[in-house]
Amino acid sequence: MRWENRPRFIAIPLTVIILLLLLFPFFVMVSTMLKSGQDVYSSPPFWIPTHIEWSNFVMVWTQYRLATYFLASLIIAVGATLLNTALCVPAAYAVARLRFVGRKFALYLLLMIEMFSPVIVIISLFKIVAQIGLLDSYAALIILDALFTVAFNTWMMNGYFRTIPKDIEEAALIDGCTRVQTMTRIMLPIAVPGLVTVMIYAFIFSWNEFLFALSFISSKDKMPLTIALYNFVGRWTTQWQYLTLAAFLAIIPVLVLFYLIEKRLVAGLAGGAVKG
Amino acid sequence: MAATTLSLKQRLWNPEARLAYALLAPTIVFLAFFMFYPIIYVFVMSLYRTNQLSELTKFVGLANFVDRLTDHEFWMAAMRSVIWTACGVGVKFLFGMVIAVLLNVKYRGRKAARLLFIIPWASSVPISTLLWQWVYHPEFGLLNHTLKATGLWTNPPAWLGYPTSAFVACMWVDIWIGIPFFALVFLAGMQAIPQELYESAHMDGAGGWRGYFSITLPGLRDLILISTLLSAIWTFNDFNVIFILTRGGPALSTNILITSVYMNGFIDLRFDWAAVQAVVTFFVLTIVSVIYAQFYFRRETD
Amino acid sequence: MKRSFISRLAILLLMAVVVVSFVGCGGSKPKATFFWATYDGLTEDFRASLETAFNKASPDAQIQIVPISWTDLQNKLTTALAGGKPPDISVVGTRWILDYMGTNSIDEVTQYVSPDTISNINPADMEAKIKGKLMGLPIAAGARIMAINNSLTKAVPTTMEELEVDAKKITKPGKIYGLIMPGKTYTELTDFAYYFYSAGGDFFAVNPDGSLGKCTVNSDAGVKALTFMAKLALKDKVVQDGFTSQVRTDAHPVFYAGKAGYVFIGAWVESAMKQANATFPVTYALIPPFKGEKQSGLVITDSIAFFSKAKNLKAAGKFIDFFYKDEWKGKFDQLVGFPPVTLSAAKDTYWQTPLYKALVDASMSAKPWPLVDHFDTMNTLVWTACEKVFQGQATPKQALDEAAAAVDKARGM
Repeated sequence: MRWENRPRFIAIPLTVIILLLLLFPFFVMVSTMLKSGQDVYSSPPFWIPTHIEWSNFVMVWTQYRLATYFLASLIIAVGATLLNTALCVPAAYAVARLRFVGRKFALYLLLMIEMFSPVIVIISLFKIVAQIGLLDSYAALIILDALFTVAFNTWMMNGYFRTIPKDIEEAALIDGCTRVQTMTRIMLPIAVPGLVTVMIYAFIFSWNEFLFALSFISSKDKMPLTIALYNFVGRWTTQWQYLTLAAFLAIIPVLVLFYLIEKRLVAGLAGGAVKG
Repeated sequence: MAATTLSLKQRLWNPEARLAYALLAPTIVFLAFFMFYPIIYVFVMSLYRTNQLSELTKFVGLANFVDRLTDHEFWMAAMRSVIWTACGVGVKFLFGMVIAVLLNVKYRGRKAARLLFIIPWASSVPISTLLWQWVYHPEFGLLNHTLKATGLWTNPPAWLGYPTSAFVACMWVDIWIGIPFFALVFLAGMQAIPQELYESAHMDGAGGWRGYFSITLPGLRDLILISTLLSAIWTFNDFNVIFILTRGGPALSTNILITSVYMNGFIDLRFDWAAVQAVVTFFVLTIVSVIYAQFYFRRETD
Repeated sequence: MKRSFISRLAILLLMAVVVVSFVGCGGSKPKATFFWATYDGLTEDFRASLETAFNKASPDAQIQIVPISWTDLQNKLTTALAGGKPPDISVVGTRWILDYMGTNSIDEVTQYVSPDTISNINPADMEAKIKGKLMGLPIAAGARIMAINNSLTKAVPTTMEELEVDAKKITKPGKIYGLIMPGKTYTELTDFAYYFYSAGGDFFAVNPDGSLGKCTVNSDAGVKALTFMAKLALKDKVVQDGFTSQVRTDAHPVFYAGKAGYVFIGAWVESAMKQANATFPVTYALIPPFKGEKQSGLVITDSIAFFSKAKNLKAAGKFIDFFYKDEWKGKFDQLVGFPPVTLSAAKDTYWQTPLYKALVDASMSAKPWPLVDHFDTMNTLVWTACEKVFQGQATPKQALDEAAAAVDKARGM
């Protein structure tokens, strides 16, 4: 389409420039993870490593056993994302489409919850988690990670739901669908970009969550990647080559997830649905 | 049917409302179970003297508030929080919007670009911050080295070593981490705007810019409101970036309310002071939210 | 059809996660928990083999060794303690012990650890002996020394004033630095304490009954120390570039890279230099006092504390007896690089090197931190004072007066 072609000549160079700017530390990360410990601490520093220090990979994978941390992170992030979606989608549908007393109150309430940074409430949360016997369990992290993103995600899904014209739904209702059916079969598929956004947010939040994992988990095999990475921050020296390598490996699943889901993100309104 | 003729029971308990409550119940129940006590306890702690285990020892009413609110550093931290939030959200918003627009343009390799822009967000905040700390290092960091080597800046400062440069350096890291979020939200939002609107505008002779301001921006209005509000709340409470990079230094010049809360709580073990600041933060953010919400709810047409 | 596949997959995943997440809830045998600070050099293999070995050797007392990086240890411990479920034992900075005593959170070590183990500990390392009660078992003790890069200079200063002269001689702006001085707020106050103790200063006045009274960081010694530090950094410019942006872990590698002549450092210097592949010759000396003052270095100990509210303290005690045998503790000390706190392990020839001779020498005249409540508050306040001086926002006297007053207020003096 002509309208879309014209900006391409400005868009591509501009995108490249911005990406170069944004990805600067990423380049530093890649450069550092290939260096030996000596190269890392050379002054002045240099971009291209003198040689590729393959032993970094060996160290990080075998000595520090990164694989177990990966698995733990995966369990927590997948669990939290699923729980979060299960909670926020119905809630968002309710506030977006239904009329009931307390609708605004519910939205305000969700907003209030967002205002308490984990740092402020961590001790009390610890007491609660300890009381219900979920200390040192994946369940505690899954639930809390899901909860700390549910407020935002409900607001977001609410926003995305409200962009869908009401006539589509009304047509379905007239055709005999129940409310819940319109939610799952009509609204959700159209709001897939929004759904993908909230799921990614929930996943990234849980994948990268640090404070709850630090406070609640004591079994080494349940510790997620965010804790593992701090192993390389020593009391006397930080081993940047291992830290950057592990951080790099930790990013990969997120990128893979995003790659798989990206198509859904930009699935526009299905052509016929509006007119249908 | 005028609303006033419905009985209270009908208003509260009609089928539509029942469904709504059912759909909301799991979320509300979970949240209430986990967050009710912690949040109430924060308010209670601000009215008591606490010991090093955050237990309540003596009721002191508003004495803690008086103590903190007459402290010069408290107001300095509060002011810095405001600047931190305003600048941070503003820049994140701009960058995010620009990137979303750029990524919406069709060209080969767009998928790769979309994949790459999420990288600042893909790593955990503490780790990204540590990485930036390394980048900022005056002796071993590649930022200053590159600036000098390319001639862009012959004498860059040791970023984290001076009040102004440290504040800017911290802000940049926070912004850097937050840009992908905005870009993603807006990109997803742009997908919901029907193509026909652009096509008909184009046929009416409106160029790219006009289309953006008259179609895209209004279409994203709700999302803009929500995302900037939420980003403001998070940015205000962003503790990790500053704490890891400077611990509030040099000489407290990067100390904002949330770092003050952490340091009062976990280092000084003055949980009552931490609670006071958390309560003040809450009220400030609530006022901002209420103002925002007025805009938001006024827009809703039913 | 695709949609139902996805939803079925989602349900399956959800069930799998639910099952997995509740696994391991509700323990079988009572296990003692040990918060294990991951000192540099300590390997995961060592921790795991120690855990397995003890659990095998004693079927009715089990241990869980939780590895935590030093940066996060205090945070996790504070949360667990305030949350009502502290670990049985944890590595702690000895300076935290007073705060724990203030809330009756820790027990006397001798209640759980056998007398044999205790008598094997070097009495000089028992920093946590408060009013005759041992409240923390020493795990690592390190005096601080001065390391000299012999490829840049062979001069060994015996006073701070001489150090200033020697540092100036070798300084080449931008290329070679005379002295390494971290200038950024850190969890440890070492980089101020070196100069403060060398000036004969003490952090607190001692009351007649032995308790610690008002903060005396703003004494003449304190002002002298901070003035000297500012002079070295801002006027003489013998200190590394951008020192106000560097904590110890940022600044010391500059020394390992061979770019500085002098540094105040601890037992880890040799293993750190090996890691950095530094090949220049190094000699060690005592941290010099100011002219006319007594030799007074710094020694820092870490301890293991027993938390009263925990449930498996006896098992924890048994573990400590096992751990402190030479076979394990000796290996621990070698990995970490700190001279042993146990008398038996110290006899090993491993420790007869110049570095360790210097460390032992330094510990003779070294002073520890003051054992006081709210130590970390004082830490932050004094560092802020230093930073204000480095930024030119206050004079040393002003900054230290402010800090001392704030410390007194925090302690209720």
